[in-house]
Amino acid sequence: MSNPNKILFASSTKNLALVRDFIESKATSYGFDERSINQIILSVDEACTNIIKHAHHYDENKHIEMEIKFEKDQIIIIMNYKGKGFDPNDIKNPDMKEYFSKFKVGGLGVPIMKKFMNKIEYVHNNSEENSLTLFKSLQSQ
Amino acid sequence: MEEFSINKKQQDNITILSLNGFLDAHTSVELEKSFEEVLSEKNYKIVVNFEKLTYISSAGLGVFMAFIENARENSGDIKLCGMSEKIYNIFDMLGFPILFEIYKEEKSAIEKFS
Repeated sequence: MSNPNKILFASSTKNLALVRDFIESKATSYGFDERSINQIILSVDEACTNIIKHAHHYDENKHIEMEIKFEKDQIIIIMNYKGKGFDPNDIKNPDMKEYFSKFKVGGLGVPIMKKFMNKIEYVHNNSEENSLTLFKSLQSQ
Repeated sequence: MEEFSINKKQQDNITILSLNGFLDAHTSVELEKSFEEVLSEKNYKIVVNFEKLTYISSAGLGVFMAFIENARENSGDIKLCGMSEKIYNIFDMLGFPILFEIYKEEKSAIEKFS
């Protein structure tokens, strides 16, 4: 039987809406409030957008596998993907004063994830396999 | 629900773009095209109405960053209005009110151009 907490989707921005709906239904069922649900949805959207853009270069033949778990009162979102990955924890938050004074574009996905989630883990399994995991606990609401 | 659409109207020399639906990495391309079109027609005074926008990600925020310099260099601006609390919180959390004027009502944003 297929796992209702797991989805596999083509690496396309077209699928972001589907991913957001999936996250919303799961986070709601775990008892998160509306504000936290919106934060989780946005963080996962940003994570997937980064994978689609930077690891897969918009190649719809590539895939992202997403699994949701709820353990010890926290939602755990695992994204497995192939390609060139990166650890969001290595990315320094931009200086927003400089960002605005220089009219910069992009680079805000990781700061959003870091702000809204409690923990981000990145594992580079072997030469091509990556796993990005986002955590948020019910207590952090 | 409609995924994303833009209604464009002209009021004197001000272009008003009203956004509907969700603005993410997929739909932001359409907003980029709208800005390119408006600016290429030398309309630099732009109001963006968010009343019917239900969601925004950083890809959407990036569109405003990409065009505001061009608008201001030509004595115009991109003024934002009508945001829900949920959407305003994203803009505010990242400090966007430092650079962008954000109004509750479309009328107030339009009046600021005169």
